[in-house]
Amino acid sequence: MNRVLLLTFVYKMSTAWLENLKSAQKTCLVQDDRKKIHFTFQDGTEMAEEYDINTGDLLGELRKWHKKGTLGGATKWEYEVGEDLMLAKPLLTEGLMESSSNPIFVRKDTKQTFQWRIRNLPYPIETYQVTVDAENRTITIRTSNKKYYKRFSIPDMDRIQAALKQDDLSIAYANNTLIVTYKKPKEVLDLEKAVQEELKKTKAMKDGDVECNPS
Amino acid sequence: MARRSPLPSIPCFKMAAPPVQVQEVREVTRIERIGAHSHIRGLGLDDALEARNVSQGMVGQTSARRAAGIVLEMIKEGKIAGRAVLLAGQPGTGKTAIAMGMAQALGQGTPFTAIAGSEIFSLEMSKTEALTQAFRKSIGVRIKEETEIIEGEVVEIQIDKPAVGTGAKVGKLTLKTTEMETVYDLGQKMIESLTKEKVHAGDIITIDKATGKITKLGRSFTRARDYDAMGSTTKFVQCPEGELQKRKEVVHTVSLHEIDVINSRTQGFLALFSGDTGEIKSEVREQINSKVAEWREEGKAEIVPGVLFIDEVHMLDIECFSFLNRALETDMAPVLIMATNRGITRIRGTNYQSPHGVPIDLLDRLLIVSTSPYEEREIKQILKIRAEEEDVEISDDAVTVLTRIGMETSLRYAIQLITTAHLVCRRRKGTEVSVEDIKRVYSLFLDESRSTQFLKEYQQEFMFHEVGKCESAICCYSTANLGYLEKVNRDKTPVADILSLDSIDHRNKVHDDDDDDDLQGYFGLTIYSEAIRRRPAQPYDPGVARSKTEQGSHPLVQTLDRDETIKSHQN
Repeated sequence: MNRVLLLTFVYKMSTAWLENLKSAQKTCLVQDDRKKIHFTFQDGTEMAEEYDINTGDLLGELRKWHKKGTLGGATKWEYEVGEDLMLAKPLLTEGLMESSSNPIFVRKDTKQTFQWRIRNLPYPIETYQVTVDAENRTITIRTSNKKYYKRFSIPDMDRIQAALKQDDLSIAYANNTLIVTYKKPKEVLDLEKAVQEELKKTKAMKDGDVECNPS
Repeated sequence: MARRSPLPSIPCFKMAAPPVQVQEVREVTRIERIGAHSHIRGLGLDDALEARNVSQGMVGQTSARRAAGIVLEMIKEGKIAGRAVLLAGQPGTGKTAIAMGMAQALGQGTPFTAIAGSEIFSLEMSKTEALTQAFRKSIGVRIKEETEIIEGEVVEIQIDKPAVGTGAKVGKLTLKTTEMETVYDLGQKMIESLTKEKVHAGDIITIDKATGKITKLGRSFTRARDYDAMGSTTKFVQCPEGELQKRKEVVHTVSLHEIDVINSRTQGFLALFSGDTGEIKSEVREQINSKVAEWREEGKAEIVPGVLFIDEVHMLDIECFSFLNRALETDMAPVLIMATNRGITRIRGTNYQSPHGVPIDLLDRLLIVSTSPYEEREIKQILKIRAEEEDVEISDDAVTVLTRIGMETSLRYAIQLITTAHLVCRRRKGTEVSVEDIKRVYSLFLDESRSTQFLKEYQQEFMFHEVGKCESAICCYSTANLGYLEKVNRDKTPVADILSLDSIDHRNKVHDDDDDDDLQGYFGLTIYSEAIRRRPAQPYDPGVARSKTEQGSHPLVQTLDRDETIKSHQN
């Protein structure tokens, strides 16, 4: 009984996200073999997604957010999936910047899993301890030498309010990179398929197609 | 060679460097500049709003301070908006000091904007825009906002100075929590603020990512064994846990102007072409106003009406005054405090005369507080306070002499002499400023009346003194000069023959249209000082002037000398 209730809840949440996407204003562009979609939600928040069209299965390469500050004015892009490939701004304007020798945390999904790669981590695999905190809906990475610590959530799981399970979590280590993998549950896969169906409806502009109204 | 040290160390001048060593560029801890009103810490009132005679750096002006205290109470209760106060009084009677005292008494939470009347005349911005911005800077909004902060214990600070020349400094800062450690690259600005806050390894600090503001929370407990070297005031705190970067909700006060600017920046590459300031569209302002009203209704934000202080308000012109009339009536107006030292004079931009150079209709809306000249013992007290503020040891006799100078010339001139006399004293390796030092600087630096006297005597030797022949030269130096010349005229000095009153009137009439006659004082001063600077080149004997002052021909010098003789008699 409980399980049924939970499933209906998850279903409701996923439809809410889908509805949200449907109601958003969308602009779509195909450029460099990538499908780029820009969403503007009703509250003024912006989201940008990129998909690789060559792989055929339209795997999410990048998702970033532009949220409105409390006082108005736009903040910088926040990356949910993928990484900022723009060159770092000169230090003078920022004043403070994480050194490039620090571990870099990036989410790179595969078709069946959520995956996070933490580069620049030179310690052996025994150092790491990755756990699920079901109550706070987060995953925690600890190091026994107290050099690295990260607590993060999975926004995709939060959107449908699905519970996190330790069993679905696994880690691997190679080439100074720690890879944390979490298996996507069925609900997420269903939702992603539905979203893809929806996105097919938006007409994509080709690169070089510029709306031009000569007057 | 890059120098590795936690922080640029405070230079030690006594240390003798070995002769061969290449001299290292040392960073001197900046000596803080002392402002003219840096000694003021409040209005100096007791709980019943009665003015204490000497308190919080304020001396005398009891009735004006009491009046200011009442206004302050009204501001604190937040009841009044759109009220205006005018501080009127002669130069050097503490108008600005009272305004600064009010600002200090209001504290950090209340926005206080101080501008000078002439500040709003800019070519890049209209007068009303500048005034509107000043108004909106004075209204605060207290709001809860989520900010990203970095909180951790400093493991190491490393600042690399460029080997040659004046290149940008680069640095690295290592921070840790109980769980992790991160290295940050530092920019020039961050290095400066770290140096200013005197952050060392072992301190627990927070850095606001958006503003770059650094706050020192205390020392880490793990460094507690350094206690003896730290002093008892050092606070010890636990090393923070978890991640270094945190999101925290903070309540802070932002001014309406700041919200305007955040929302008016053009996005994208257009931002390159539009500067930070510049005019803000009225649509943006209206949007912000309704947004703020919305927050207020929802209980998210609170309006903090602040204070706008306009010094030298007579420099505003008639358009600004009519704008002020209107602006004071809006419901989100701050308390306006103005100061002027003018009597009945022309309103700028018109030919009408009005008290304080402010139109009657605006004067009608003001509460006028007047300040009166200081008495002798008050001047003495102020001089003592200033000497203390400027870290100058001064003998009692010297203070008495300075007070006399302050009475006979002006308080400002007397205050100027403190610093200069201190320098003279240091030159002769003295520790305490004596009467001799004061006398020396008094003969070195002229006050306004002696300078006038000097000019009267040597007017002919100066450049452009032949006013009648050089029309163009005098025309651009408008009335101050003319006023001065008129004075000269009355004194029946030779200039009177060249320039008749009639011609002055004539010039006045011709040039009344343009506004620059208010700039009189400045231009007047410029030519005097220019003339004094050129003095040696002039064909007259400077020895005459010097001998005159040295022989004590000037009344004040005489009084000084008399003091000296009286003293020696007593001895």
